[in-house]
Amino acid sequence: MAIEILQTDDQYVLNHCTKFLARDNKDPRHNFGQLSNDDPRSRIAENWRFPIIDSYSDGKDFVKSYSSNVVTFVYQQPGATPPTDVAVIGTFANLYEPIPLKPVNFVGEPTGYYALSIVVPKAQFHTYKFIVNGQAIIDPINPQRTQLDNGQLWSRFFTQLCTEPLNFEDWEFDIVTRLVDHILPFRTKEGENFLNRYYNFLGKQDKQVQYAYAYRLDESVGAANFIDNILAREENHHLIDYKICLGQINQILRKRNPYVEPKNVSKELYIDLYNEMATNQVNGWNYQQYQEPRFFLQLLRRHTFSGAFSHPKYGGNVGGTGWAYLSERYRDQNGKTLFDWRRAIEAPLGLNSDYRG
Amino acid sequence: MQTEFDVVIIGSGAGGSPIAYTLAKAGKSVLILEKGPLFRPQYQNPQGLSDFKRDELFADGPEKRIRIPGVANFNEAFYSSHVEPDINDEPHIYRDPNGQDRATIEGYTAQVVGGGTQLYGGVSLRFTPTDLRLQSFNAGRNDLKNDPNGDVQREARDWPVSYDELEPYYVKAEYLVGLNGTVDNQLKPFSKDSYQPPLEPNPISNYAKAGMDKLGEQLGAGKPIKPYRTPLAVITRDHEPSGRKVPKDPETLKTSYVNRFGCPLGVKSSTWVSLLSPIASLPNFEIRTNCVVTHLESEGSKVSRVVYRDPSGKTRFVQGKLVIVACSAIESIRLLKLSAQLSSEFNKRINQNDLLGKYFLTHCFGGASALMPTRSDKTLALDADWATDACATDDFLKSRGLWAGGAVYNNTSDQALPISLGRTHGSRDLDTLWKGFIEDTSLAAQGLTDFLDNNIGRGLSVSFMANQVPLKTNRIELHPTIQDKWGRPVAHIIKQWHSHDRYLMDTLAEMCGQILKLGGNTIPGEFKFEFQGQGGVYLAENALARIANHILGGARFGNDRNDSVLDRNCKAWDFDNLYVTDGSFMPTSGGANPTLTIQANSFRVADELLKRL
Ligand SMILES: Cc1cc2nc3c(=O)[nH]c(=O)nc-3n(C[C@H](O)[C@H](O)[C@H](O)COP(=O)(O)OP(=O)(O)OC[C@H]3O[C@@H](n4cnc5c(N)ncnc54)[C@H](O)[C@@H]3O)c2cc1C
Repeated sequence: MAIEILQTDDQYVLNHCTKFLARDNKDPRHNFGQLSNDDPRSRIAENWRFPIIDSYSDGKDFVKSYSSNVVTFVYQQPGATPPTDVAVIGTFANLYEPIPLKPVNFVGEPTGYYALSIVVPKAQFHTYKFIVNGQAIIDPINPQRTQLDNGQLWSRFFTQLCTEPLNFEDWEFDIVTRLVDHILPFRTKEGENFLNRYYNFLGKQDKQVQYAYAYRLDESVGAANFIDNILAREENHHLIDYKICLGQINQILRKRNPYVEPKNVSKELYIDLYNEMATNQVNGWNYQQYQEPRFFLQLLRRHTFSGAFSHPKYGGNVGGTGWAYLSERYRDQNGKTLFDWRRAIEAPLGLNSDYRG
Repeated sequence: MQTEFDVVIIGSGAGGSPIAYTLAKAGKSVLILEKGPLFRPQYQNPQGLSDFKRDELFADGPEKRIRIPGVANFNEAFYSSHVEPDINDEPHIYRDPNGQDRATIEGYTAQVVGGGTQLYGGVSLRFTPTDLRLQSFNAGRNDLKNDPNGDVQREARDWPVSYDELEPYYVKAEYLVGLNGTVDNQLKPFSKDSYQPPLEPNPISNYAKAGMDKLGEQLGAGKPIKPYRTPLAVITRDHEPSGRKVPKDPETLKTSYVNRFGCPLGVKSSTWVSLLSPIASLPNFEIRTNCVVTHLESEGSKVSRVVYRDPSGKTRFVQGKLVIVACSAIESIRLLKLSAQLSSEFNKRINQNDLLGKYFLTHCFGGASALMPTRSDKTLALDADWATDACATDDFLKSRGLWAGGAVYNNTSDQALPISLGRTHGSRDLDTLWKGFIEDTSLAAQGLTDFLDNNIGRGLSVSFMANQVPLKTNRIELHPTIQDKWGRPVAHIIKQWHSHDRYLMDTLAEMCGQILKLGGNTIPGEFKFEFQGQGGVYLAENALARIANHILGGARFGNDRNDSVLDRNCKAWDFDNLYVTDGSFMPTSGGANPTLTIQANSFRVADELLKRL
């Protein structure tokens, strides 16, 4: 497997790591419940940013470039003695071939950071380890880790538009999707009409280019997938809320309708549950286990709305569907859209030929 | 690594860059130390992609939680942009009305090369001549409202430079930075029109224009005061001084990713693209990014060393014949106070009259908002289309018992995109983002559809920006216990609104409300006009911290060494080579957004520095 190594300059690496990694304070100020206080990562701001996942361009074909990311691994030397060698192995290349990280300099002097940028296709999920002084270690910064079948821990990353389930079991996905359905406007009558039209009448080329990564298109424009992604990384501290609350919701729905799987129960049951959560009074809720169902609902609402309307690279708003809904819904007397999202956004998602994403 | 320079400038934003531009062009060796990263627009990047994105989540950031020991808002959610500091690392602390300390993201502009000018809305109005002479203007007045103790007359100050002296530098800044707008109908004197032509206004702004026209007729009494196109720091034509180019059809520049977004095309005139890029390849200019200055050291009346942490956190130092502090007001004051804490000699000189940090200023600001009777595509906009000087005339001030006036302009791109609409719904400040939306659980299914139907493309707001009464008790201190990620005390913002400030905000909010009502009621349409409200920032939940990213004062300049921290050229009185040129030099905060004035003043100071080198 040939892997493309990209020559990013040191400035690029420093721009993306200094703010987070350079520090003295040893307070666990960056632990919002996702790490233990004695974990060194609890001192690092936004450690979910590592490895750095960025847009890619080959300088020629921006449509083709759209399907890849640049992934930059950063290793920070602990203490004063530089390691003799730092490399990375991972599923993005041949596992037996460590790829060396290069020292990062500042005005010609070493910084103690080591970095490597590679090109990885979008919508992928990989595991990796650093090899430091000949020893394989998991990435000391990145909070994402995966236990393999052999029990070994590996570091993990995923590229944009990833649709592989990262946290949720199937049944959890099902419940999130039903809840998300109720929040978003796509399950109103006009909303459903829109989705049918939009997905069914997509041109072949659009389907190939923009929607190649479409995931469960009919499932609330991918917002559930967005939530799975954000819980794996940026808002990992809320994964526990989802795990507990989805478990409870599952049980409550099974009690309310013992004959039908929670994913298939009536819309009304979800609406009732939504309304009860909104008032914090949920019949059958175990308040000892989770005090505020309303808090969970608030979280879910923010995530759902963000997922449906943020840039599709985050895994929701598939192919710009959320935006397209607004674009179709709001029109002037002549039928011209009053939400012309495509104009500002990069090709092939949008139509802007100046901005490249 | 070179360690000696003619000039060392700390901070690459509005206050620092004009000095770098002028002195580097004159052949002096110039170093900028900048805490933030260098984010380049796509035309400058080797990969052809920009480090800034048209991407709401990238710009706004995910939820984080405050985990600073001892603050009253411990565990509350916060959202900071990718170029603001993480407030767990570097909080600003303010004292709330109950006397408790809370962490806030307010008071940061942006930490990136270009500083606040990377994220700003680019509204680039000049201050009025009266703004610079509020002491003289208010002397002997007995008509001022809500000023029971005569604070205005006691505390108002004239600037040590007049409008006439500053005017050529406004011209210079306008030309070199790159603005679009119209001079016609502005009441400030202009010796030269350097604006590029504005783009077609967004149709929703027609209501604002109609309202401003009507208000101008009412207030102008026989001589109507007309609106003009808001000067915006966005180029609409190829910009010769910076070599920037615009697309063939400049109208395609319109997007709602302007205010709060870095510009991937480099058409927003940040100090990086307009002033620093043109000197970037000069051999006598260097910028060291991702370097935070921790303190200054002095020997006698000279700043002898500038001490900083390099990108890995290692301590380093440089020397400059002249040292310019331009970290934006709060952080500059903090830097000087930290230096004073470490050295009694430094302390004696910078605190010769104990004024450093005092008279910290923000702006009186606020406005009014409404849902207009027709829908427009608000995603096709820059930031503000129309402005009026109707609330800044001496007649207006006297008729309302106001000590100072303000600029009024409409916002076009606010809440244009769904996420910005969601996160700012029902919230008035940066500390309560998303709160209104998440608590309003009725916004689901049909409820959410109705919300979008009501708001997308219909919201119009008119804002004002005006002077705040300077108060000695409004100040920046070092926090006694809370420290940043380097273990240094953080900035403590202690401030209140004066009763006249509140009166002024109510008065100008009423004017903004009038504009919307007068404009909104004139044009019948498919929807009804729905007035949403008006008010000043003192009504916000975190009103005592709320500062609209306009942080000013705290190291004011003046002619009297007992009454100011800096002399008229922004030199610290008891130092030979220490200058402060960000917004902290202002003795009064001006009746308009501050950046253009910070830039103009820096160009002025730069000419003075040239005489010394
Ligand atoms: C969202 C937003 C919208 C705005 N809209 C407008 C507008 O429309 N019109 C307007 O006039 N103004 C606007 N402003 C305000 C404007 O950005 C500021 O007035 C202006 O940038 C202040 O200039 P300054 O030189 O004081 O500081 P800045 O421009 O902020 O520059 C300070 C620089 O110093 C650096 N720095 C800080 N501490 C250190 C340190 N210890 N060591 C090294 N470097 C350091 C910072 O990283 C920063 O780059 C807006 C601001 C924001 C954030």
